[in-house]
Amino acid sequence: MDRKQCCVKLSVQPSRGLMDEKFIVLVQNALPGSQLTIRALHQCEDGHSWEAFGHYTADTTGTINVSEDPSIRGTYSGVEQMGLLWSLRPIPGSKPGLRMRKKNIQTPMEVTISVYQGHQTEGFADLVPLSGVVVERWYMAPGVRRIPVTEGGLTATLFLPSGPGPFPGLLDLWGGGGQLVEYRAALLASHGFASMAIDYLTSKFTMETGKMVDNQYFETAYRVLQQHPQVCGSKIAMIGLSFGTSMTLKMAIYSEVIKLSAAVCISGSHVQPVEGSVEEIMGFFQKNAGKTRFNEKNEAIWRDLLLPIPTDPSLKADVGRLQCPLLLVVGEDDQNWPAQESALDIKEMMARAGNSHLLTVLSYPNAGHLIEPPYTPHARSSTFKTVEIQEKVMCLWGGQTVEHSRAQEDAWKKILVFLRENLYGGRNPTSFSHL
Amino acid sequence: MFRAHMSVTRIWQLIEKRMMSCISVHGKLPGLQRAVGEVRRKSSFRQSPLLTATPVRALIDEQISIKGRFLSQNYPVTVCAQMHSEEGDLWEAFAHYTTNASGSINLTSDHSVGGSYVGCEPMGLFWALEPALGSREGLRLRKRNVETPYMVNISLLEGHTSPSEGQRTELAAVTTERWYMAPGVRRIEIRQNNIVGTLFLPPGPGPFPAMLDLWGMVGGLLEYRSALFASRGFASLSVAYMGHKDLPGPQHIMSVGDSYFKSAFQLLQDHCQVDADRIGVIGLSYGVVPTLRIATTIGFKPSCLICINGAVGSPLLDEDGKSKMFESDQKHWEFDDRGYVSFRNVSLPDNLPPESKRKVENITCPLMYIVGEDDLCTASTENADVIEEALRSAGKSHQFTRLSYPGAGHLIEPPYTPCSRASLWKTKPEKLFTLWGGHPAPHAAAQEDAWKRILEFMETHLRR
Repeated sequence: MDRKQCCVKLSVQPSRGLMDEKFIVLVQNALPGSQLTIRALHQCEDGHSWEAFGHYTADTTGTINVSEDPSIRGTYSGVEQMGLLWSLRPIPGSKPGLRMRKKNIQTPMEVTISVYQGHQTEGFADLVPLSGVVVERWYMAPGVRRIPVTEGGLTATLFLPSGPGPFPGLLDLWGGGGQLVEYRAALLASHGFASMAIDYLTSKFTMETGKMVDNQYFETAYRVLQQHPQVCGSKIAMIGLSFGTSMTLKMAIYSEVIKLSAAVCISGSHVQPVEGSVEEIMGFFQKNAGKTRFNEKNEAIWRDLLLPIPTDPSLKADVGRLQCPLLLVVGEDDQNWPAQESALDIKEMMARAGNSHLLTVLSYPNAGHLIEPPYTPHARSSTFKTVEIQEKVMCLWGGQTVEHSRAQEDAWKKILVFLRENLYGGRNPTSFSHL
Repeated sequence: MFRAHMSVTRIWQLIEKRMMSCISVHGKLPGLQRAVGEVRRKSSFRQSPLLTATPVRALIDEQISIKGRFLSQNYPVTVCAQMHSEEGDLWEAFAHYTTNASGSINLTSDHSVGGSYVGCEPMGLFWALEPALGSREGLRLRKRNVETPYMVNISLLEGHTSPSEGQRTELAAVTTERWYMAPGVRRIEIRQNNIVGTLFLPPGPGPFPAMLDLWGMVGGLLEYRSALFASRGFASLSVAYMGHKDLPGPQHIMSVGDSYFKSAFQLLQDHCQVDADRIGVIGLSYGVVPTLRIATTIGFKPSCLICINGAVGSPLLDEDGKSKMFESDQKHWEFDDRGYVSFRNVSLPDNLPPESKRKVENITCPLMYIVGEDDLCTASTENADVIEEALRSAGKSHQFTRLSYPGAGHLIEPPYTPCSRASLWKTKPEKLFTLWGGHPAPHAAAQEDAWKRILEFMETHLRR
């Protein structure tokens, strides 16, 4: 046994990757036919440990290639090149309702990947692995600059790609939990977009005055971005998730100031009081809080708050007036927002208005609400606190891990293509429409 | 909004050129023609291309794939790499490409038509790096601090130009990091048993197969090869044997002898995270001498040996393996018309004292000998012949592997790093430059192939 211990070789290429980059995990020099477990371990910023593992059998050359060989069982099964990352889950004994989100994006996520003798399912901490490597996963590419923005009363962070520019710009909005969430913007900047993550619910202004920001806040963000010497002012898009979708559609359709080249709306809805401010829109949802349901685990389901989709036009953003391409991303098992029903209604409204050529819908069966950049764990539910409800609630997001992870991978790829085509790519007549 | 060195006219010309090529790609809609006129007046309009490098953080021996997209079609561009060495010198490389019909370039498959290299060279921007115009003479790129990466800036310039030309338009850029150390590799300073060295351990529990890593007479402590070995799963100990402040005696002579190298080998054997039965030795240049001395000494059984451009013996050693001063005997030195010295003839087998030549036939383990055929520092080919013949006579040909690279010089190092054909040897009593040999393209090919073969050799003899 001892003799073999130094012989098994584990390698992961690349050992330093971006969060959305694939890697190849290779075991070599094992005994042909031997049973091995490959395991990933990560300790996140708040101290919780996450693990994933797969059971493999070495082939006749003593090799296991995770991108080609199937995991027989584990936290993932089948041929899953990135399974060791997306199937990460809190180690047994962890407190419930955890969700992995990186706050400090200037440091990498470190994952230790090890290979163990036999098919192990638990007690890894007491086992000595045959071999182990450390892998770094980064949200920020080298040369990307992180610039806090406070101009005009904003609470935002701008990420600029390396290079002279000018770069197309992007406004990045998250949902009802508020905070300044930077990781998606950092990753988008690593792909060549000058991206500004905006806190529009818990900004310094709101925390100090107790008042929500008004529509001008988003227009200020747009102006600051547009006027930056390294941003191509005529190529700005907006990406929003959840409540961020409501804001994105509002700005894309109604703002006199904001002229978007493209919009990406993930897991959201167009249902909102059309004339409403941020505060009024939030109030509208609150009014319907009585429609909250709870499942057998006492997890809150909020998707009914906006159902049924109203017929009253004053309660829906008028997507028929959209002038830029719109990409909708929908998880069909979204338990938090009625994204699928909204997407159908949006499609109908745009067909009637004659601008449905602008619409692309990506709809994923068994994907949940939190459709985020790929290769991070799926949270079917987690503890959550919106800015309206001050206590934490166990919120059901939905989604089945395997399909949700595939959806994240596919959606992210298509979001990047969509943004590149509309912000970097060739001219189509509609992009001139605002001249 | 405008760059200081560009005139407004030039900018409009650029915009127009790009607009026109866009329109020809996307059709001749009359509405677009009018819109073009409108848009040209908007100063913020500009089509930026996209330059990407994957992976953007790579180990030194990993290939990086560089692509440019959203450029005009059939368009001349220059890709340029720039970095600063630790000493602050600027190193540059550039190559000329033409975009295809989709307005893209891909350095993994496209051919450079001029610049620092020509042809299809995915890593050419890294191995063809040269000191920028106006730099000091005789520079050599060697990383001292392996815990930080080289930051290499890759940029895309308009047209076929060079870094030294004044008027260049930078279209896009990307920053890459190149690392000698993988995450999780541990660097441990060794100052015990009179050994001056650095040990690198791979991540994981071990025990690991190991290498003793020996360099040449330039001296000092070079860590980067060991750091890479550890990044590939081998413990590796690099030791200094001259030219280091922590070693006894004056720095310009070798005051340590056989017992020093044996201590270093022993240290690896005794280390709890090293498998004592799986230790190899690698020597470059003068490092080959102690490599062969360890291998032919009773009581030491390395599992394999790798010798790069070194000699079977040395005129410099006394019985204990300590050296006399290298420069006392200059009769075999040869100077070129610039006054640069080639030491090659010093190590011709006929010029080596017979008593210094090791009995290579006593070696019991596999030996790989790597020859740079344009080596101007050591008579590598001739020494390889001696070793090969000695092993053949002893019926041990199966232990011998020779890799021989035409056009490669003395310093066959980890891949995708520049070739130094000559560099500064010493500054007192006056400046003296030494010739290493090697031409950039064949030397780069040699480094790439040799490194792969070295790692395979180590896997075969240390891990199986």
